[in-house]
Amino acid sequence: MDTLANVAHGFGVALTGINLLYCFIGVFIGTLVGVLPGIGPISAMSLLLPVTLSGTPESGIIMMAGIYYGSMYGGSTTSILVNIPGEAASVVTCIDGHQMAKRGRAGPALGISAFGSFIAGTFALVALMLVAPRLAGIAIAFGPAEYFSLMVLGLVVLTFLTQGSMPKALLMACIGVVLGLIGLDSITAQPRLTFGRMELIDGIGLVPVVMGLFGVAEVLLNTEQAIKRDIINAKITQLLPNKADWQASAGPVARGTLLGFLLGILPGGGAVVASFASYALEKRLSKTPERFGHGAIEGVAGPESANNAAAGGAFIPLMTLGIPPNVVMALLLGAFVIHGLQPGPLLITQNPGLFWGIVASMYIGNVMLLILNLPMIGMWVQLLKLPYNILFPLIILFTILGVYCSSNNVFDVYVMIAFGIIGYFMRKLGYEPAPLVLAFVLGPMLENNLRKSLILSQGDLWTFVQRPISAACLALAMVLLIAPLLPALRKKRELVALDEGA
Amino acid sequence: MNNPSNVKLRLSNSELWGGLIGLALGGFVTWSGLKLKLGTINDPASGYVLFYTGILMCVFATSIIVSAITEGGPTLASRWENVRWSKPLLVIACLIAFSFALEPLGFLLSSIPLMLLLLRLIDPVRWTLAIPIAVLVPSGMWWVLKRLLLIQLPSGLFGIG
Repeated sequence: MDTLANVAHGFGVALTGINLLYCFIGVFIGTLVGVLPGIGPISAMSLLLPVTLSGTPESGIIMMAGIYYGSMYGGSTTSILVNIPGEAASVVTCIDGHQMAKRGRAGPALGISAFGSFIAGTFALVALMLVAPRLAGIAIAFGPAEYFSLMVLGLVVLTFLTQGSMPKALLMACIGVVLGLIGLDSITAQPRLTFGRMELIDGIGLVPVVMGLFGVAEVLLNTEQAIKRDIINAKITQLLPNKADWQASAGPVARGTLLGFLLGILPGGGAVVASFASYALEKRLSKTPERFGHGAIEGVAGPESANNAAAGGAFIPLMTLGIPPNVVMALLLGAFVIHGLQPGPLLITQNPGLFWGIVASMYIGNVMLLILNLPMIGMWVQLLKLPYNILFPLIILFTILGVYCSSNNVFDVYVMIAFGIIGYFMRKLGYEPAPLVLAFVLGPMLENNLRKSLILSQGDLWTFVQRPISAACLALAMVLLIAPLLPALRKKRELVALDEGA
Repeated sequence: MNNPSNVKLRLSNSELWGGLIGLALGGFVTWSGLKLKLGTINDPASGYVLFYTGILMCVFATSIIVSAITEGGPTLASRWENVRWSKPLLVIACLIAFSFALEPLGFLLSSIPLMLLLLRLIDPVRWTLAIPIAVLVPSGMWWVLKRLLLIQLPSGLFGIG
C-alpha cells in the first residue's frame, strides 16, 4: 500500500506542467543524440548539466534521466537504418537490425526495438520501485568501510569491462582519483596539487572534464574520417511486428529485460554490457544460431530490451547507495550535487517527492518515447541527413558555452579544451576515458571513506575484511583483478570488453 | 614475416610512450603525496591517498612498459595511418588559438572566427553558408544568454559583447 501511495505522490510531482515539459525535452534530446552517431548520452548530458541549474532539482534530474533512457531508444534507429550505432549500447543492434532493413523489414525491426524497449523500461521501473526502498533500508547500516569497498568494486568492474588492456584502464582510474583530489582537502583544508592557482582551490569541475573528454575529444576523433552513411531510403512501412515476429521475440524480450536489469544494478555494469550479453545469450539459446547476423529479429529484440532495462536498473545503486555504477550515473550524481542533494539511503525518506517524482517521470517518459519513436520515425530518418561538417563546429561552440555558463569562469573553458586534446590523444593510444571520469567522481568519496574507516578502526586494516559486505566486495574486486592473468578468463573479458565512451 | 607497424624496444613504440608518461605522472603524484605528508595509519594526512595512488600508478605504468617491451606495440605512426590526421590537428590549433583569444577579444570576436575556421577546415562548407552560420549562431547564442538568461559572457578589451 505504501508503494502505491508513494507512486501516486510521484505521479503528482511528475505530472506538473513544468516537469512534463522537462521530461519531454529530456527524452526528445535523448532520442536526438541516440539517433546522431558521434554524440552519445554522456556528451549530451554533460552539455546540458549547466541547464539543470535553472530549474528545480526535480525538473533538472527528470530531464537528465530522460536523456539517458531516451538515447537507448534513439540509438537503435541509426543502427537499423544506417548501420552506424547511434550510441555504444546499440552497437550490437547493427548486426541483425541493419540486415533486416536491407531485406525490406526495417519497419518490424524498428517496431520490435521500440516495443521491446518499452516493455523492458516498464519492468525496470516497477522493479526500481520495489527494490530501491528495501535496498535503501539495508544501506542505512553501511559504514565507511562498506562504502569504500563498494566503490573499489565499482571501479574495478568498470576497468574490467573497458576495452583495451586492464593496466591501462586501472591507470586511467588512478589518474581520475588524483584529479578528483585536486583542491582543498575536505578534512584538513590543505590545498593539494593546486600549483598556487586560485582557480584550482575548489578542484576541477566535472563539467569541463566530461565535456572535454567526451564532447571535444569525440569531435576530434570524428573529424579524422569522412563519415559514410548507407541510409535505407525505402519508405518505412508496417512498423507493427506480425504474430510470428512477436512469437520469436517474446522470449528474447523477457530474457533481455531480466538480464539487463540485473547487469544494470551491478557497479561498473550498464546498458552496453547488457546488450552484448543479451545478444550472446540469444545466439546460444537459439535452435538456429546461423540466422544471427543475417537478420534474426531475436538479435534486435533481446539487446534492445536489455539496454533499456539496464538503464533503469542503473538508477538503483545511485538512488539507494549514492554510488554511481557508470559514467552516465556519475553525471546524474553531479546534477544532484549541483542542487545540494546527496543521493543515498536517506534520499527516499527525506525527499520522497524527488525520488518518486523521478521514477514516475521515467514511466511517463517511456510512453512519450514510444510515441516519439514509432509514429514520428520519418522525422528522425530525415535528421540522419544532417551534414556533419556543420554539426561538429556547432557542438564545439555549445560545449564552450555550456562550460562557461556552468561556472561563469573562463578558466573552465581552458580546462575543457585541455581535456579535449588530452582525451583525443588518450583514445588514439588506446586509453579509455570512462574509468577516469567515474574515478574522478568517486575519488573524493573514496578517500573520505578510507580515511574515516582508518580513523574509526584506529588504523586496523582488518576492518575491511571483518565486515561481510566489505569483504565480499573486496574479494570480488580481487577476483576481477586477477582474472585477466588467466588465459581463459582473459579471452572472456576480451569478448565482453566494450567502448563505454561512445 | 614481421609486422612493421608492431615494434618492441623502439622509440616509435606508442605503448612504451604511454607507459613512460604514466610512470612519470605516477612518480610526480607519489612525490606530491610525500610532500603533503602521509600522517599515520591511525590518522591519515592529506598526502596519504595521493601517495598510495601514485605508487599504484607506477605499478600499472610499469606493467604497460613491460608488456610494450615483451609483446611489442603499434608504432606512433600506425595510430594515425589511413586517417585524415591533419583535420584534428587543425581543430586543436583552432581551439588553442581560441583559448588565447577568448579573454582579450571577448566571446563574440573570438567565437565568430573560430566557427568560420571550423566550418571551412573540417569538411569545407561553402562560403555562402559558412559565413552566415559563423556570424548568426554565436551572435544568437550571445543574445539569448545575455538578454534572456542574463549571463555575462567575456567582453574582452574592446568591451564588445
